[in-house]
Amino acid sequence: MSASVLHSEVGVSDEKQAAAKSAGRRFGALVVRLGAIAAFAAIMAYFVIFAPGFTSTFNLINVVEQSAILGVLAYGMTSVIIGGGSDVTEGGIDLSIAANMGLCAAVYATLLSMGYGDFLSVLAAIAVGIAVGALNALAVVGLGILPLLATLAVLNVAAGMELTLTQNTVVGASSPLLGVLVSGSFLGISALAWALIVFSAIMIVIVHGTSFGLRLYAAGGHPEAARAAGISVPFYVSFTYVLSGFCAAVASILTVSRLSASTPGSGELLLSVLAAALLGTVFSRRFVPTMGGTLLSVLFIGLLANGFQLLNVSSYWVNGVQGALILLVVAITSFARGSEGSR
Amino acid sequence: MRNSMKGLVKALALGLAAACSLAAISGASAEELSLKGKRIGVSAIGTDHYWDLMAFKGIQDRVKELGGEVIALDAGRKDQQQIAQLQTLIAQKPDAIIEQLGNLEVLNPWLQKIRDAGIPLFTVDTATPHAINNTTSNNYNIGAEIALQMVADMGGKGNVLVFNGFYSVPVCKIRYDQLKYVLTSFPDVKIVEPELRDVIPNTVQSAYSNVTDMLTKSPEKGSIGAVWACWDVPQIGATQAVEAAGRNEVKTYGIDGSPEVIKMVMDPKSSAGAVAAQQPYEIGKTSVDNAAKYLAGQKVPPFTFVPSVLINKENAAEKGKPFLDAAEKAGVK
Repeated sequence: MSASVLHSEVGVSDEKQAAAKSAGRRFGALVVRLGAIAAFAAIMAYFVIFAPGFTSTFNLINVVEQSAILGVLAYGMTSVIIGGGSDVTEGGIDLSIAANMGLCAAVYATLLSMGYGDFLSVLAAIAVGIAVGALNALAVVGLGILPLLATLAVLNVAAGMELTLTQNTVVGASSPLLGVLVSGSFLGISALAWALIVFSAIMIVIVHGTSFGLRLYAAGGHPEAARAAGISVPFYVSFTYVLSGFCAAVASILTVSRLSASTPGSGELLLSVLAAALLGTVFSRRFVPTMGGTLLSVLFIGLLANGFQLLNVSSYWVNGVQGALILLVVAITSFARGSEGSR
Repeated sequence: MRNSMKGLVKALALGLAAACSLAAISGASAEELSLKGKRIGVSAIGTDHYWDLMAFKGIQDRVKELGGEVIALDAGRKDQQQIAQLQTLIAQKPDAIIEQLGNLEVLNPWLQKIRDAGIPLFTVDTATPHAINNTTSNNYNIGAEIALQMVADMGGKGNVLVFNGFYSVPVCKIRYDQLKYVLTSFPDVKIVEPELRDVIPNTVQSAYSNVTDMLTKSPEKGSIGAVWACWDVPQIGATQAVEAAGRNEVKTYGIDGSPEVIKMVMDPKSSAGAVAAQQPYEIGKTSVDNAAKYLAGQKVPPFTFVPSVLINKENAAEKGKPFLDAAEKAGVK
């Protein structure tokens, strides 16, 4: 689309060409963005019409429940991308978040199985999650390592610690808190679904309803301008990694409740977490990550798997569709960045 | 020792014959089985190994053969995904659910929910009180047989490297417990502590490096006599490691009967000592027959054993071939 626009501009004076290029890009980005949203909507409409039982309240609550863990993790990832900037190679990213969740879950389940109560075990899990987040912050802000590499290294540290702790085995766990999370419900909505609803509300208010959130966007979007305005960019960036670690710890408790155990292989979730955080940018006009956008894409990913199963389409397709959408979104964001003229 | 082995083989042969005649009987009533108009949900933790894939295929083929509709769900080795799939499956209210393998601790609360929802539950290779029927191999026999074969090959003494990473998987628990039970009669056969952990994924590579490390740690020939695993994918890595280290006195033992392991046992030069070969495709099919019988109002026993065969160095040429043929027929290598 925009390629043909660009080609037709060859030979016009430089200034005009640049302006046209930018307009073309902006138009192209708009088209692709609307296209992506239309694709989302079309898939949902198809499910509503053809997937038996898709729109039943019971099924929709199931999907919210199934999305809780991914959602909490995706909020952590989104905050890191907001605070560190959304440049895919140099911006904020936390590759360690899923492994961190695995480590926290292992700590939580191990302590419970050793007979420590919920209070101490939850506290320990959250402390571990925050510590891993702080390690990321130290590596990225303190040592100035590229987030992609720093968090990749921390991923390995966390995964290794989890293996050391659990010996790669399943650690069963039960406790009063887990009991409530598994079978509790309020107003017909299960505890796990409530966890996502409440956590979402908190994150949306903090990031989009406070001056703190505004400064966070400034730190990630225009670090120089933020610095000039007296905002301590390193503090905000560090904060996002610690918050991400906290999200990992919260998600770990939800995971242990859902699986009645800590199990190896949490790292597998990373791709879905990244997908959710990146896909979420499509729902923003400026292609920036937002908490609301992340929530929508988390639910979309959940509905995708659910709809395919109800239609009796192989679950193998879910990965393919997810991958295609990520590609689409990354293409859109690079378009958008071109139109803003930055870098 | 030789006498007891002979007795064992005889007992096995008898058991096989009995099972075959049983199969013939059930084959007659299978003619009338039908799943027309029925929807059967199938949930497997993963299909990345020969056994899993064959059983999963066997279930689906048989449901279709009997005229039923199958909702086939492969969780890709992700517990989270399997739980989500089961949860949605319960909402879909199929006529029956067949669940294949996975971590019992994770699954049990959800299997309970399946029963609470009034959906008949059948399992493949997964012993749980929530299932109406569990179709599997006789893992008590398999565990004892492979352990006895190993002890016999070791001459009743020596050290064993044991992979014990999946004690939470019910069949592995049975086989491991049987190994321990057999070893109580042979105090000179000792398990090297700490035990090794087999993993998924990268099972072969990880087993290879684990065994290589242990062989390096015990460099004298004869210091290690055998390697045992509750399935045969670690056995592949272990066998390769033993051969690469030139430690041919070490033999490897495993369970399942993946074609490449059967080929290893058939190769007289390979260090693969024996493998208990199961019939995963038949196991999958049989679980569907059980579901069909139950839905037709017939009585179904709490478990069904599909015969397995111990393939060792002596009988490999003869006993291994039918299994390789079956694998080829199913198009799974």
